[in-house]
Formats: sequence, structure tokens, C-alpha cells
Amino acid sequence: MFRNVEGLLRSTGRYAIAAPRVPWTHLLLLLAAGGFLYGAAMGFYGARALQSFYSGLKVPLLLIVTSAVCLPNFFVVNTLLGLREDFASAFRGVLAAQATMAVALASLAPITLWAYASSSDHDLAVLLNGVLFLVAALVGQVTLSRHYRPLISRDPRHRVGKAVWVTLYMFVAVQLAWVLRPFVGHPSMQVEFFREDAWSNAYVAVFRHFWNFFT
Amino acid sequence: MQSLRKLLADVDQLLRGRFTRREDLIEARIQIPIRSLVLAGILLGAVYGVFMGLYAVLRGGDGSTAQLLTTAAKVPLLFLLTLAVTFPSLYVLSALAGSRLLAPDTLRLLLGALAVNLALLASLGPVTGFFTLSTSSYAFMVVLNVLFFTVSGLVGLVFLGRALEGLFAPAAPREPVVAIEETLEQADDEEHADDPETETDAAQPPPTLRVPRNGQRLARRIFFTWTVVFAIVGAQMGWILRPFIGAPGQPFQLFRARESSFFESFFKSLVNLFS
Repeated sequence: MFRNVEGLLRSTGRYAIAAPRVPWTHLLLLLAAGGFLYGAAMGFYGARALQSFYSGLKVPLLLIVTSAVCLPNFFVVNTLLGLREDFASAFRGVLAAQATMAVALASLAPITLWAYASSSDHDLAVLLNGVLFLVAALVGQVTLSRHYRPLISRDPRHRVGKAVWVTLYMFVAVQLAWVLRPFVGHPSMQVEFFREDAWSNAYVAVFRHFWNFFT
Repeated sequence: MQSLRKLLADVDQLLRGRFTRREDLIEARIQIPIRSLVLAGILLGAVYGVFMGLYAVLRGGDGSTAQLLTTAAKVPLLFLLTLAVTFPSLYVLSALAGSRLLAPDTLRLLLGALAVNLALLASLGPVTGFFTLSTSSYAFMVVLNVLFFTVSGLVGLVFLGRALEGLFAPAAPREPVVAIEETLEQADDEEHADDPETETDAAQPPPTLRVPRNGQRLARRIFFTWTVVFAIVGAQMGWILRPFIGAPGQPFQLFRARESSFFESFFKSLVNLFS
């Protein structure tokens, strides 16, 4: 396990950028394990075991479903850009980036637990998790850039492919995260996998918020 | 099954730009059957249409399945009907501007651009489907769909613009073509000595091999006029073919009564989103 994490973080061994075989299973396992660990920590707010388990399932789900939704577009965009020969490498890059993000999240889990232990403020917990997700996403970008560097030097159009992926991924991930609420779980609300009223739209909610604020 | 695989392979080659290589364009050749392009357009458009029509199904009620099916038919229809209406004028415009493509090749080029457009749109289908599953806001779905149509339309335009540029690019350094180009330039020079106004001459090589010298400007001019004509007709065609998504609280209709315009409706949706 630790050798795998080492390899992923340093892009060596099985996880080397030019490795002949793409370690799909290993990447997915790391993604699932890291995501579950962080999710479990995140859901442990108020020491509720069931919520912790649910959140543990939700974080890998968030990453995997978002990738699945964005994948057809990634494929077509790469083909259109004339980068089809590099598609396997590009996809390995985006998957490795997400595995890295999951591992980074797992490494941040103790901070979350420590914060829960030191304060019971729900708003603070939500904010902290948001910030840690952002940090982990940026860490994932390091791996993504590392995989994309040789591709871009081969063909600068890979820059466009990467930008399209990141944009669409974030657009979908924000909404999916919204749908998958609750992650932290408000102490006054029941523990549940999905919130009954959660099937709304993140962007509409944010727009309304701003609109109400300014009018 | 076999023919479907062949069709997908054709689309794949088209997306990879194998049908619009410079060497072929210089000789005004686009070697993909019109039938495959039309079929590919119908198939890809229908894929997106299914995701788009999902909103009506989830909302339930009378005619929701009918809405799904008609949307799947309407998306490809929107593009193909627009091309049917505009093709004669697009062809005349480009021929006047000095395009070397004959009518069938012009049609192939335009259909190819539409297929690229629809392929990208179809690839965004899962995203539309996902937002349809997770959102109830009708206004958001309208704005999202307009956004996706716009983005994929722009990519189709980039494809078309590239192909036109290739069509009007100076010939590649290959023996026969260079020779023709040289004679062309001489002919042009002689012409200019006589009369700077006249561009065409019966003594010139066959029209399929003519390479205009100010090619890039011509390419841009054709591209611009094509875009304007197609976009205006396309927007209105989309408006005529409504409903695509199916507004909540309205019964299923094959077509709605003619009223207002595309631009007014889009603006209203934008306003609704914020209030």
C-alpha cells in the first residue's frame, strides 16, 4: 500500500509516466481507498458512525461519477484536436491526478479529525472541508501537469485538451457534490445517504444567493 | 451492426481530420459519402436529443415519452433542415467568391462540419443527462443547453474555417500543382497588366485546380457569410421546432404556436435564473 502511494506521488515504478502498462486497477483502488478514508473522517462530525460510512462511500463516488460523465467529451475533444494517439496517456494522466487527489485528501484526514475534536462549530467544519478539498485538488494538479508536460512538448494542443477537461470536470463536480450532500451532516438533521430536498441545482442556488444579497 | 461500425469509423476519421487533409483540399476533393455524413448526423443528433428529452420524462405526465422521442428526432432535424434551407444560397455565395469546390463537395464539407458539431454535442450528452437528473430548474436546463449548442457550434465552425483555409492555401510543393500555380501567377500578372478588375479568364486551367492568390481573404469572406446565414436561419429553425425540453406545466405538443423569437426567450430564461 505504502509503496503504491510512494510510486504514485513520485510517478515512479508502476506509476511512471512512460510505464508500458497503465495501472488502471491500482489507480482506481488508490482513488477509492483515499477517498473513503477522507470521506469517513469528514462524516465523523458529531461522532456519527453511519454518516461517516456514508460520506466515505460518497467521496470516491463523486470522483468516479464525475470522470465517467466527462469522459465522452474528453475523448471527442482529444480526437478533434488530432491527439487520439495520445489518448491513453492523457487519460492515464487525469486518472493519476484523481488518485493523487484522493491520497492527498487521505493525508489531510487527521487535520479534519483534529478540527472536529477542537471545535463543534458546523459552519467552520463545512468551510474547513471545502478548503481541504481545494488544497487536495491543487495537489492533484501537480500530477496532472507532470503527466501532461511530455504530451504538451510533443504537441501544444494538449494544453487545450487539459483545459477543457479541468473546466468540464469542475463544472460537473460542483453539481455532483451538491447532489451528494450531506457530507459533513448537520447534528440537528437525520443521518441519511441523500437529502430528500438535495435534488436541486448548485449553480441556481449560488446565483439566487447572490441575487438576494444584492437586491 | 456492421454498417454501424463502418459509420462510426467514418465519423472517427472525420474527427481526426483525415477527410480534410490539405493535399486533398488543394485538389478540391473530400472523399466521404454524403449518405454516411447524413446518417452520422442523424445518429449523433439523436443521441444528444435523448439526453435533452430526458427532462420531460423525469417530470412525468402525459406525453413525456413522446417528448423524448420527438426531441431525439428534432435535434438532427434542426441541423439538417437548416442546411437544406441554406445550402443553395451558401453554395452560390461560395461559388461567386471563387471557391474551387463543386456543389457535391461543398455539401460534403458543410455536412462534415455539422457532423463534427453534432459529435461534440453528443459527447456532452452525459453532462446534460446528469444535470437533468439532479436539477429541477427548467431555466437552468435551457441556459445549459444553449451553452452546449453554442460551444459545439463554435467548434464546428473552427473545423469549417480550417478546411476553408486549407482549400484556399497555396498549393503544397508538389510538382504538378506548383507548375499550375506558376502558370496561374503568370496568367494573373498578364491579366493585371491588361485590366486589374477582371479576375476570371477562359484561358485559365480548369476551375477545380484554380488557386486564387488572395486565398486567405476569400476563405475568410466565405466563412463569414456562411456563418451569418446559417446562424440566423438555424436560430429561427430551432425556434420553429420547439419544444425541445418541454416546459413544466405545458402539455405535450409536436410544435408550438408561432410567437415571439429565439433571442427574446433566451433573455427571459437568463432573467428567470437570477430571480
